[in-house]
Amino acid sequence: MSELLQPLRELFEWVDTFPSSIALRESQYVWSGVVVTHVISVCLAVGLLLVMDLRLLGAAHLQAPFSRLQRRLFPWQMAGVVLSIVTGLLLLYAQPLRYYRSVYFWMKMLTMALAALNAMAFHSRIYPSVAEWDERRRLPFGARAAGVLGMLFWAIVVIEGRLIPYSLTWFPQE
Amino acid sequence: MLQPLFERLARLDVSRAMNESGWVVATIQAFHLLALVLFAGAILIVDLRLLGRGLTDQPVAQVARAARPWVRAGLLGLIATGIPQLMSLAEKEYHSEFFWSKMYLLAAALVFTFTIRRSVTQREDARVGRFAAAAVGLVSITLWTGVAVSARLIGLF
Repeated sequence: MSELLQPLRELFEWVDTFPSSIALRESQYVWSGVVVTHVISVCLAVGLLLVMDLRLLGAAHLQAPFSRLQRRLFPWQMAGVVLSIVTGLLLLYAQPLRYYRSVYFWMKMLTMALAALNAMAFHSRIYPSVAEWDERRRLPFGARAAGVLGMLFWAIVVIEGRLIPYSLTWFPQE
Repeated sequence: MLQPLFERLARLDVSRAMNESGWVVATIQAFHLLALVLFAGAILIVDLRLLGRGLTDQPVAQVARAARPWVRAGLLGLIATGIPQLMSLAEKEYHSEFFWSKMYLLAAALVFTFTIRRSVTQREDARVGRFAAAAVGLVSITLWTGVAVSARLIGLF
């Protein structure tokens, strides 16, 4: 396994030596600004994704047809997602080896991939029939299942992200 | 003035136990962030509506009524995880200027949310002007963002 991961590790070690990566991790104010912006953008993205999932579950905003809620929130969710990705990549760029060693970082990446797959499955399999159930309070099983999975995956992503600083304590590395 | 209280908090058996078992503090911090995200979504959908964005086909009062249980749930989660977090880090937090800026902003945000913002978002009629509503939404977003930013800075400085 460690042989398979060798090229990945070498990539992270290589990035770690870049002068701009070193400058970013050593610049306390810029790095702190990126951390804070990451948290705020996650609040924007995941906060509004949870609102949409609650509508899928029939737990909030039942007066709004689902397609309208989705359309109106989409630009804000995307603004949050794009800003989270940009700031997340900057954090990774600043401390590549810290994240490479973190079990929670890789779990977070995997959970984000599962959340993306859930969203893609919802849009390709369930959303095409939205006209049939758009205004209902109780949505079809597939829509509710996508809502539950979305909430679950995003909640786990947030928890794993917050646990990254604790990874080394919990999972000692060589 | 409050220093003896914070020192007593830090010396409580339960505070020490939380600190000694690293995973309890880690778990509390993780669920604090999760409660913040839930709270942020519920606050933001109403603030966006006040700004004339988001669910503009529905009256402000209707959007606010639908969001209210989730605002309360998020706030309860934040309090339930915030108090033990404060207990476990009492002395560090007492000496952190960001902790105090968070507390002042939090007090301002809570008062604003449950007085002016509440009265504006509960009106079923359209007596609140567009600019007044937008100002309320903007102040709410600014105050709550200030709380979250200060909170994150406690751990960094």
